[in-house]
Amino acid sequence: MRHLFVLPTSRAGWVLLAAFVMLVLAGIWPVIGFVNRAALVFGLPLMIVWSYVVIFSCVGVMLVGNHIVEGDGHE
Amino acid sequence: MNSFWPLVITLGYVAIAMAIGLKARAGHRMDTLEQWGVAGRSMGPVTLYLLIAAGSVSAYTFMGAPGWAYSKGVAVFYVAVYLAYLALVAWYFGPKVWQFGEQFGHVTQASAIADRYQSPTLGALASLVMAVGSIAVAVLQTVGSAYILFVMSGGAIPVWLGVIIVLSCIAVYLYISGQRAIGRTNAFQGALMLVVAWAVGLWAVHSATGGLDMSAVFTRIQQDHAEFLTLPGARGDMSFSFWTTSIIVSMFSFMPPVWTQWMCASSARTIRRSATWLPTYYVVILPVVVVGFIGIYSLPDLARADTVVLEYAMANLPVVLVGLLGAGTLAASMSSSEPFIHSVALSATKDVLQPLFKLSDAFTAKLARWLLLPVMALIIAPLAIAEPGSLVMILLVGLGFASQVLPAFIGMFFWPRASKLGVMAGILSGFAVTVAFTTVWSHPLGIHAGFWGLMFNLPVFVAVSLATPAVEASVVERFFRISAPRGFKRA
Repeated sequence: MRHLFVLPTSRAGWVLLAAFVMLVLAGIWPVIGFVNRAALVFGLPLMIVWSYVVIFSCVGVMLVGNHIVEGDGHE
Repeated sequence: MNSFWPLVITLGYVAIAMAIGLKARAGHRMDTLEQWGVAGRSMGPVTLYLLIAAGSVSAYTFMGAPGWAYSKGVAVFYVAVYLAYLALVAWYFGPKVWQFGEQFGHVTQASAIADRYQSPTLGALASLVMAVGSIAVAVLQTVGSAYILFVMSGGAIPVWLGVIIVLSCIAVYLYISGQRAIGRTNAFQGALMLVVAWAVGLWAVHSATGGLDMSAVFTRIQQDHAEFLTLPGARGDMSFSFWTTSIIVSMFSFMPPVWTQWMCASSARTIRRSATWLPTYYVVILPVVVVGFIGIYSLPDLARADTVVLEYAMANLPVVLVGLLGAGTLAASMSSSEPFIHSVALSATKDVLQPLFKLSDAFTAKLARWLLLPVMALIIAPLAIAEPGSLVMILLVGLGFASQVLPAFIGMFFWPRASKLGVMAGILSGFAVTVAFTTVWSHPLGIHAGFWGLMFNLPVFVAVSLATPAVEASVVERFFRISAPRGFKRA
């Protein structure tokens, strides 16, 4: 029990974990440093656009996650 | 502004919220914590979506966030990002917490902690210290509510009276309908906030630029005040490290009302579905923040940044929209304060008083409802009326502590070897560091105090857990059948 830890047990689970980690990394430093420019995209500041890209990507990843979790019958 | 319509519309909202809260009981008996505490675990995906969304969008969205945009710029969007990450947290942990509650009968976060570590003392400790942060949130939101009534009445309703009006309304429907009232009123408040935010935002853009295109606002900011479009912001105080650590600490702050809301879902799948779409709600932040940016050049000399939307609306928007803004802001503050008030009464009774005095379940359920009244009358109301200057400090320490409970959750969801003493040692060391780095040496190196706390907390938690006895195997197995339905990996 000493070294046991809960980790994904399938390839789909690992992909999902990687997607979650990438989403979190996308919203913090150093990634946020690359979009930290006083530029406008579609008329909005780049930082705001990037924030909403991250926010809506969360929805996309969770939708894929629902497909994986509900597909293998584990609730 | 001399019109009485804004006050009429704002009070009309209060009356509607009251009616919805009272009707939410819908014939259910509220004499068990299963009903009063977690609404019989009955909420569908839409109600749950609006419940969690409205609960997380507080008066901060209508006042503080535009104020941050006005004074710092795009740095305010760290809030939108961490709220989206909280949806990821809800997606993963929510269904498991729901199963704990359904199978083991938990109605509070502290009950789950006490059960996992077989320690009512640890449960009571978690409950009491989480109550500090919860009360601070409730007080801040109540102050916001009273301030809105003060402004909308043109000063006729003083802050003390506004506090009493708002808390009285919440007390009545929380006592009568419990978590069902929170669910229904938050659903109404969530929908109202979304409509009001976009109506006010677009109208403000139109009044400032003559069109509905937000790009005109930002083009002007880019030309004249470009420092508002990047970190560290116009005041130079939102560094990359503070942005990053604030998001991480906020992500790991499992506040008790959110935990209780997860347990209100009708199924594990319901909460996963609600969490999936939760980030879409945060489009509510954009339009009100745009008003903050408009204020940079149209209201350059404001004394208080967080009044920018109200000031701009009263000077430029029709009275009906000002009234709706008052109603929307009041909805935001009430929808955030009521889950915290309910959670404090629920957890203090269930996790502190019941084990201490060996109370029966029936009496505990009755006591939890009555405890609302002293919590509001003797703690929240006096603090809100006094508006102590240290309140934000209490809130920061409280939220900093919330993230320090992380070891308890690591032991619940990921690491079976976590021990009771390991969790206690981790929490206490992390809390001490967070308090020191909030009050004595504020956020050293531009890193959030709660993050410093976690950096001390986690190694202590692991070391003490490995050196002290693990929790009984049957208990660990019971929890990890849910946390790890397919077993473990060797780390």
